[in-house]
Amino acid sequence: MTTDQTGAAVEPMLGVAPLELEDAPATGDQTLWPQIPRPVFIARVIIGTVMAAAALYAPFYFDPVYNRLLSQAIYLAIAAMGLNLLTGFNGQVSIGHGFFYGVGAFTSAILMVDHGWTFEATIPIALLLNLVIGLLVGLPALRVRGLYLALVTLGLAVLFPQLASKYVDGVGGVALLRPPARDFSSLIEGLDNDQWAYFLSLFIMVVLFLLAWNLVRGRIGRSMIAVRDQEIAATTVGVNLAGTKVATFAISAAYAGVAGSLSVMVDHVAAATNPIFYFQRSVEFLVAMTIGGAATIMGPAVGALALVLLRRNTEDLIEGKEILAPALYGAALIAIVFVLPEGLVGGVRRFLAWLGRRSSAKGRPPTHPIPDDSQ
Amino acid sequence: MLKGKKFRIAGSLLVLALVGAACSSRDDNNASTDNGGGSGDSGGASESSIDTANCTADPTAEIEGNEIKLVSSFPQSGATAAFSQIAKGWKSYIQMINDEGGVEIDGKTYTITTTDKDDQYNPQNTVANIEELVGEDGSNAFAAFSVVGTANNLAIRQQLGDLCVPNLFAATGSPAWGDPTYPWTLGSTLSPYSLEGKAFADLLGDEKPDAKIAVLVQDDDFGKAYEEGLKKAIEGTDLEIVKTEKYATGATEVSAQITSLAASGADAFFDGATLLACPDALTKAAAAGWTPITWVSATCTSKTLMGVAGANANNAYSYTNLKDPLNPDWDDDPAMMEYREKVGQYQPDADVNNGIVAYGWTQGALLVEALKAAEKPTRLAVMESIHNFSASDVGLLLPGVTVKTGPDDPYLGEAFNVMKYEFTAPDARNHFVLVGDINDVEGQTADFTPESLISSG
Repeated sequence: MTTDQTGAAVEPMLGVAPLELEDAPATGDQTLWPQIPRPVFIARVIIGTVMAAAALYAPFYFDPVYNRLLSQAIYLAIAAMGLNLLTGFNGQVSIGHGFFYGVGAFTSAILMVDHGWTFEATIPIALLLNLVIGLLVGLPALRVRGLYLALVTLGLAVLFPQLASKYVDGVGGVALLRPPARDFSSLIEGLDNDQWAYFLSLFIMVVLFLLAWNLVRGRIGRSMIAVRDQEIAATTVGVNLAGTKVATFAISAAYAGVAGSLSVMVDHVAAATNPIFYFQRSVEFLVAMTIGGAATIMGPAVGALALVLLRRNTEDLIEGKEILAPALYGAALIAIVFVLPEGLVGGVRRFLAWLGRRSSAKGRPPTHPIPDDSQ
Repeated sequence: MLKGKKFRIAGSLLVLALVGAACSSRDDNNASTDNGGGSGDSGGASESSIDTANCTADPTAEIEGNEIKLVSSFPQSGATAAFSQIAKGWKSYIQMINDEGGVEIDGKTYTITTTDKDDQYNPQNTVANIEELVGEDGSNAFAAFSVVGTANNLAIRQQLGDLCVPNLFAATGSPAWGDPTYPWTLGSTLSPYSLEGKAFADLLGDEKPDAKIAVLVQDDDFGKAYEEGLKKAIEGTDLEIVKTEKYATGATEVSAQITSLAASGADAFFDGATLLACPDALTKAAAAGWTPITWVSATCTSKTLMGVAGANANNAYSYTNLKDPLNPDWDDDPAMMEYREKVGQYQPDADVNNGIVAYGWTQGALLVEALKAAEKPTRLAVMESIHNFSASDVGLLLPGVTVKTGPDDPYLGEAFNVMKYEFTAPDARNHFVLVGDINDVEGQTADFTPESLISSG
């Protein structure tokens, strides 16, 4: 099933590409929202406000167990955004981001357990370390592309637990590190620990998403997209092919590393006792990106949230038949990809575009000529 | 094909419904935490041998309501599912007690509820399960109970210790459960693994005093306990360990290791493997034509695992302190008859002939005894009760076996009887036959155990 997911991931990604190019204003300093019909603009503002309000209110509404779930969705979203920069915007497919995630997790855990660091200080280290490792991995990745790159990175994810078992001697003689829970205590008076973990993760996610948004809208982002769509054409107009690819790989790895680091705070553990755990993580990043909407900014966040909630809610949907949960979960994912090939965000966009067309049907021509196969 | 638009909308709605299902509000949940988590009034601090100064959850809070909520995590699926039988034993016992009215502590009667999750014998999953079931602040459960696995329990020990949530009767024989730094985690009647090394060394001392021993252990602290324990046990004897092989935690196949061990020229074999790796070792040894005097891990003596090895397990030694349901000698024993009847009644799909179910039953019985002996319905009082405990004729303990703890002795299973597997025919009631008398080393486990094993982790 995972291969289906992976295979399917490529299609909507490419399908959504031209849409994104049109959306991103070519000349940034014009008006802020050029060419967007009024109803679409209003809808976007409403959706944005509601989402922001919900995100801020959620940890006060839900119980700690549920808040942990949301925090998991947030770190998953950060890793998916990293992968989105690499795969969605730059066209390099990786099934190995679990490796960088793992390096980030163990960096934080080792610094805390063996060197007594405070958790918050380990996040930048996890980021920088993964930036460097991303560069090193990105260089040989220049030689391979497409499926071959996917296979090479897959090796990384499968290798990680072996590496960790060899070099990390943790609790119980296995590769498992657990910083004491009190080391993750809330730094803000009035916030419970679970709420603190949520807000810290959310803050870092917002910063990283804004950076990503800024990146893909500018010159570098256009280079990334050009490399994805037409490598040769991109070089002829002066895009530094190798530089763009390697830099994207490094940035993408750093995102996954930060996600791994945050996972230690949320889950209170960094472990490599399951030989396929980091491979599963890699696939989850890919799935979150795909069902959310590749090459969009909100896609990874929406996808990660949907993924975490789907997994949770399919877990005990059928009383006494827990064994069916993975099948239900898989079926729901297939349904999303099938029904919304451009991801959830792509689906919303399609809806908004339809709204815009309807409102402008009397006068102006549609702004986004999107083919609608249902007509 | 399907009609585009309608299908899309229906599909989207379905998925949205799945995503949105089962949301719960913080307030709702707070209202329902009076489930034995202990946010009630302080029961008055008593003199205690357990240091509670740094507890992040109040261990002297009395249980609110009339439920004692226990949680557990153990393997329930895949190649590690053999251990899930343990829970069928203790669930039966607890249900029986609940049907009889419950447990009385300090004049008030409580029923016991249990919740458990599958961890596939993977410590990472155990961490997630226990964190969720106990809750970050320890408010969702009274205690953890019968969590399976050495590395698994080590992974949750500190967290539960910081919260001062009891981790009762951990289903593992690691000597680490005697570490005074972690008074909130305690082992079960499974004898400390280091004693198996001693028992085997004593046995070889009688049968083959100059034996060369080959050792197979799991590559984690579970295996380390066997390896180091046996090393210490043969100090000062003519016995010698000629080869030690390890296998990755959870592996089910050990032919490479056995080939190497068989080639070492050893005439004694300590099979310290567990789950499917254990019978696989016996099978591969037989296939290689290697017939040493063999000891199998006490975690491997269940009907399931010995059944996998079959004839290859013939004459293998191990030890126990429980009555084996497969042994016809106990067929008319009242405790055994009650066990068969109640497990048959409450867990009809459990195999009552499986010794591992009998082990679970006995842990349930000990739990109830310890709860009854507690002075107050608080975590601290229950923990103190278990740290000053003495019981015999409880559950399916062998006659003459006393399970005893004290201020300086945290080990429960320090009496054992060596036994030998007798295989007669594939469909016969093959079982271990007790050899010799009970060996009681009460209070001496620490003497037979390297210090590093007790204070590791």
